Amino acid sequence: MIEVPKTHNPEKFNSATSSLVPTTNETLGGKFKLVIGIFGILSAIGIVSLILKITTVGFDTKSGWGYYAAIVSLLLGVFGTAPMVAIAPTIAKADWHRPVSRIATMFTLAGISTSILAIPLIFALPPLVVGGIRRRSIWFDANIYTPHVFFGIAVIGLFLIGLALLWVTSIPDLSMMRDHSSGWKQRLGKSLSRGFIGTERQWISLRARIGMMGTFYFMFLIFVHIIYSICFSLELVAGWKDAIYPMYHAATGIQSGVATVIIGLFLFRKYWNLEDHIGIDQFWALSKLMFATTIFWFYFFICAFMIFWYGKSAINEMTIAILVNGPYMPVFIGTLLLSFIVPWWIIIWNPVRYSPWMLSIVATIVLIGSVLDRIRLYVISWQVYSDEMIHKRYIPLDEIPENMIAPSLFDIGIFIGFISLGILAILLASRFIPVVSIWERHQSILLTRHIKFHRTEVYAVGKPD
Amino acid sequence: MSKISILGLYDNPDAAADALDALSEAGFDSNNFDVLTGTPYPEGAFGEHIPQHRLFRFPLFGAIVGLTLSVFLTSTTQIVYPLVTGGKPILSIFAMLVIMYEMTMLSAVITTVIGILFESRLPNISMNVYDTRITEGLIGVSLVCTSDKKETAERALNGAGAMEIKSSGK
Repeated sequence: MIEVPKTHNPEKFNSATSSLVPTTNETLGGKFKLVIGIFGILSAIGIVSLILKITTVGFDTKSGWGYYAAIVSLLLGVFGTAPMVAIAPTIAKADWHRPVSRIATMFTLAGISTSILAIPLIFALPPLVVGGIRRRSIWFDANIYTPHVFFGIAVIGLFLIGLALLWVTSIPDLSMMRDHSSGWKQRLGKSLSRGFIGTERQWISLRARIGMMGTFYFMFLIFVHIIYSICFSLELVAGWKDAIYPMYHAATGIQSGVATVIIGLFLFRKYWNLEDHIGIDQFWALSKLMFATTIFWFYFFICAFMIFWYGKSAINEMTIAILVNGPYMPVFIGTLLLSFIVPWWIIIWNPVRYSPWMLSIVATIVLIGSVLDRIRLYVISWQVYSDEMIHKRYIPLDEIPENMIAPSLFDIGIFIGFISLGILAILLASRFIPVVSIWERHQSILLTRHIKFHRTEVYAVGKPD
Repeated sequence: MSKISILGLYDNPDAAADALDALSEAGFDSNNFDVLTGTPYPEGAFGEHIPQHRLFRFPLFGAIVGLTLSVFLTSTTQIVYPLVTGGKPILSIFAMLVIMYEMTMLSAVITTVIGILFESRLPNISMNVYDTRITEGLIGVSLVCTSDKKETAERALNGAGAMEIKSSGK
């Protein structure tokens, strides 16, 4: 490292560089390879489980794909929505997000799990014409495999947009790797930074592109949530009509995405020794997002529920039985407790919002709630589907199954394996992309000051762009 | 007259700003010199020329192309296979919206990615003289000029307090 240059905050500036550049060599106390090995084995179990599920269950037994569909939906929220934590504050020009944004954006890599899992599910999705009759769908009179094709493009498109977003936001750090490393890291940095040298034009372009790619990612993410929730659950249940449901799906996805980022931030801060860069401010700001999205869970749920409750028609009663008080009532109660009541009650207290580990516990509770929520929504949707039932106006109450179905060993293997695969992708990327964006940390140091304000001190943030 | 690339390195933003002023006063065109930084300084922090860009044209162009293609795809499909569904017209806009949205977005995204490469002049094939210490916090003032103006340029850069000056023939 060179001698300290006279930038505005030279000591802080260089200390950020010297402490963040080596994070790509972080060994977790010599256990990095062990951790990678464990997640690698779990990922392999997931892939084997997926192959076995396809070969043994087949695509015709629809009820066998409920838990699988729930896992895809969960991953769309947990991994797919996590980058929104970086995107929204970037667009709002907040300062607190700078140490968080890279970790949040790196979850786009975990989208590989969602993309791989989504493809077999497309084959399990029934065509638009079943038994010679067109089933009700948002695709009207389109080709019978239209949802299959366009959902496939959408989910892979989302993954690629995420990769593009990660690449765009990493270009300056990759140019740093090109300049100050050797071997494969230098070659990779040179290849990916594409000759970035930090001219005015490049910075202007980069800032604008980050905003645009972030906006596109958000617009595409919501689109994928809407398509997935409609095609892979709502349309499979005869008579289920709910305009709020797609937005409920997206909003609760954002809740689980925020929870994922909090846990990721906590772990990286602790095991990558990033206490100097990831402060309490970041957790405090995320806790507000978590609080808002937790309230959203209830808001969206009750908006839909009231219509069914007061409507009281046979279709409404069926919908309530499917989603709330039917065979999956215990799961619903678990969701209500873990996605709303418990996190809401804990997070309203100020000390919790200032405590990284307490917040991480709340985030874990929310994620468990998200798992239950997706089981509640998807397993029964695939359980009640049949080629005859789908054409009925609604499912009579006496034909709704009395019992839950349990996940198979394959489902459990896929659940653990593909979450592990996502984590593995992030850990491997942390070998060449710093988990805290160096250029954004520099920018934060450049534009922030503790200044005297009358008889106190305040934290002043410059917002030039 | 051959062209050369000159780079002045500064450890202080004010000195770099002074160097830009000195180059302007020495008669160099502002389109021929640039500031290189490892951190995004606010635009105009060095009193530099702000380049004109066409950043928003790329996604707009992509979106228009994607939208046009999707309208063509969905409408021609419906016209070729005219199935009346639910008593609605053959060309029902709501049936087309999902595909129109998806293709518009995808096309806009692809052109945005192409746009960043184009607008950032990446990959930088004819890289001017450069110093890796810029990504460690030093500020570079880069200039392209004819070889007969080398001395004038170096005098201007030195006068502003350059730590070091590098040059290369081009």
